[in-house]
Amino acid sequence: MNNTFILFCQREWQLLFRNTSNLVQPLCFFVIIALLFPFSLPLENELLQRIGGGIIWVSAVLAILMSLESMFRADFNDGALEQWLIHPRSLPLAMLAKVFAHWCATGLILALFSPILCLAFRIPAEQIWVLFLGLIIGTPSLSLIGAIGAALTVTLHRGGVLLAIIILPLYIPILIFGAGMITQSYSGAAIYSQLYALLAILALAITLAPFAIAGALRTTIE
Amino acid sequence: MVLLNSPYCKIILNEPLRLANWWANIPSISFSIVALYITALNLLSDISSTSIAPILSAHELRCVRGERCLFDGVGFSLSAGQCLHLLGSNGSGKTSLLRIIAGINRPQSGDVQWRASSIFDDPANRLKYFSAVAYLGHKDGLKDELTATENLSFYRRLENASNQTLIDQDLARMGILEHAEISANKLSFGQRRRLAFARLLHADFRLWILDEPFTGVDIQGRTLIEQICNQHLASGGIIILTNHQSLATSLFAQHIKQLRL
Repeated sequence: MNNTFILFCQREWQLLFRNTSNLVQPLCFFVIIALLFPFSLPLENELLQRIGGGIIWVSAVLAILMSLESMFRADFNDGALEQWLIHPRSLPLAMLAKVFAHWCATGLILALFSPILCLAFRIPAEQIWVLFLGLIIGTPSLSLIGAIGAALTVTLHRGGVLLAIIILPLYIPILIFGAGMITQSYSGAAIYSQLYALLAILALAITLAPFAIAGALRTTIE
Repeated sequence: MVLLNSPYCKIILNEPLRLANWWANIPSISFSIVALYITALNLLSDISSTSIAPILSAHELRCVRGERCLFDGVGFSLSAGQCLHLLGSNGSGKTSLLRIIAGINRPQSGDVQWRASSIFDDPANRLKYFSAVAYLGHKDGLKDELTATENLSFYRRLENASNQTLIDQDLARMGILEHAEISANKLSFGQRRRLAFARLLHADFRLWILDEPFTGVDIQGRTLIEQICNQHLASGGIIILTNHQSLATSLFAQHIKQLRL
């Protein structure tokens, strides 16, 4: 298959499995950050249950933020980005594939791993499902929006801090709705409004972010 | 009435009509033949004119890096089978010029034209240009983690060159077939340059833009690259390259135009 999306997905996965540190590092970071909280908080089951969901969300955001810096770095350093810029194939589609591969390596794995962390916080089973659902829908938006920042800072040698400053404020709405979903479900209310808000953000990010990433790369590489 | 409705009678009555119809077609047939003839003539004259007229030309290019003006008023024109050799001291803007011609950067002013249409202002022509151009810069675009074969395979598929068996042929042509299954970061610098060059062989790139193609390769490698460049020029391709040494003794010396920055 020579479809641009499939071609770039295959390439990214091939590279991920050659260089497994990109798969393992965000996950380890996520687990460790989340597990620091139970150690530093008073040992009250009720408190941990109430704030556990939010802590797991913040850990996921930080883990994804950490993995973003290297997203375009290797492709920029070895000149692959230049080659894509002057290729007749669609750059936004190629970038969408790259973000999708990045999400599979970070957001998807974090979401799959989150139920195990929930046990550490003694979060009840119904809320585990809510958290899992929220992460599955919310993390692709995190990757897509983060990729715009990564594209803007790709030429800077130490762009990590700048990237965090640009991107973290944009993550706040996703964090509000994602963590709010668990609080809502904990108090027994329906979670649809937050779910729809997350889905709306995702739909917006999928349609607009690839073009923003492509535009950002075109202007920064010059 | 019965007689008129019989099949024989129908044929007798219809046949002259059909003949008349056929004759009526003759003006249109002759017209279409003439039209075909004219278009064929046009096509022929197009082909003959493109081999003389410049395919790639640049006018009044100006590039500013930071505060400093690297070059101003640079222009050239190249037709099929010609090679442009950029000369200049370090930092004179050779790579910047190549990147502008390749379409990666935009010039401060001036224009690059491919088949008499701007590559910066005309989006349709820009896409056509990009499918005809191959840029090989200092950064080779190869992935450290992937083997030589996998690297080439990706670029072949990017160009829709489906036949994967020809990869070995390209590697053998560049003399690195025995390293086909070694990951690119374990290749020596010269071998890596050869692998990067192998990327140009598989697709129909009309224009090659090469930034110092002979750095890092040994004498055999240099001869090999010269041979391949010569073949490319002989088949109507265009090459723009930078090189610090003179190319007066190279195989394709008679096709070279020089431009000093």
